[in-house]
Amino acid sequence: MTTFERVEAQLKEFKDLNPGELTMETTFAQLELDSLDTVDLLMACEEEFGITIEPDENLKTVGDVVERIDSLVAQKQ
Amino acid sequence: MIESQLCQLVGIKYPIFQGGMAWIADANLAAAVSEGGGLGIIAAMNANAQWLRQEIRKIRTLTQKPFGVNVMLMSPFVEEVAQVVIEEKVPVVTTGAGNPSKYMKAWNQAGIRVIPVVPSVNMARLAERSGAAAVIAEGGESGGHIGELTTMALVPQVRDSVSIPVIAAGGIADGRGVAAAMMLGACGVQLGTRFLSATECGIHPNYKNKVITAKDLDTIVTGRRLGHPVRQLKNKFSRRYAKEEYNMAISDEELEAMGSGALRRAVVEGDEENGCFLAGQIAAMVHKEQPAAQIIEEIFDEAQAVLKEAGKWVK
Repeated sequence: MTTFERVEAQLKEFKDLNPGELTMETTFAQLELDSLDTVDLLMACEEEFGITIEPDENLKTVGDVVERIDSLVAQKQ
Repeated sequence: MIESQLCQLVGIKYPIFQGGMAWIADANLAAAVSEGGGLGIIAAMNANAQWLRQEIRKIRTLTQKPFGVNVMLMSPFVEEVAQVVIEEKVPVVTTGAGNPSKYMKAWNQAGIRVIPVVPSVNMARLAERSGAAAVIAEGGESGGHIGELTTMALVPQVRDSVSIPVIAAGGIADGRGVAAAMMLGACGVQLGTRFLSATECGIHPNYKNKVITAKDLDTIVTGRRLGHPVRQLKNKFSRRYAKEEYNMAISDEELEAMGSGALRRAVVEGDEENGCFLAGQIAAMVHKEQPAAQIIEEIFDEAQAVLKEAGKWVK
């Protein structure tokens, strides 16, 4: 599974997503995730990938999260 | 005497904070609470740096005791406010409406004790990780902006998920509430509504009177449609707002505009029809106007008596 697919799987815990609905460009705002949901999602991703993500304003889209995760996982290795 | 690690952490006699209520929690109220042995808190709300600086300088003329500032993270002035608390060497900062981790490092370096208000376990964990000295777990019984969980459910869950001190807020009016909060794992409490009736609280007399005469079912939650639920007292304004939330002919923008300025109308003008009178579910347990110091003493005398009696349940 790609990082994107794994993030999508986590997101499905919060949102009902149609197949193909989610793209790298989808924003948290479009998903109607508030700050609490966003923190919950990021913490779920932390567990999934075994990393620590500091939530900040640069994380606005699914793509931002995927890129952050890939870079954190690469740093860990 | 009731004492906990919170007293040492922020240098107070009683483990009680006064909530950072927008438009209400100014230097006068905060100073009275601090003088009374709790931690008074000035609400920075949507105000700019200049206003906050004045209030901070004012409280220093009224009390030598520690105090705090509540930084509302969604404020348009949050950046400058975050800087002012450093420049003015504010001892304690509480935060609301979001995740403060962005400011945490600078605040901690300045020696500020940062204590975020959290409505969920993950927000509490994140706060601890970012360097919070404690967290305030606030349940939805409280007035103003509220979270989903109740104090009864939230406090023990937060207690189990972090190792920093937990302060309980929401639904606490008296010594019984303080005792219960401690049983749930909190080492202190934050009260807002109870301090609305403080002599030193400068809200319009109509506001005070509405709180003092409120009954058990007199609060209502509005704003769920916009994602910012708010608990307030029932009146013409809040009933109309609650109704319009279900009116899909009204846009979110129009709904938002309806709420704008309503808190000021309540606090400053005492407009009983068109004001938004924020208050928690315990408004019905507030019976009279009295000095903040007396409120605090009364609460802790009762908490002590209740906790001493608690052994009677163990056979």
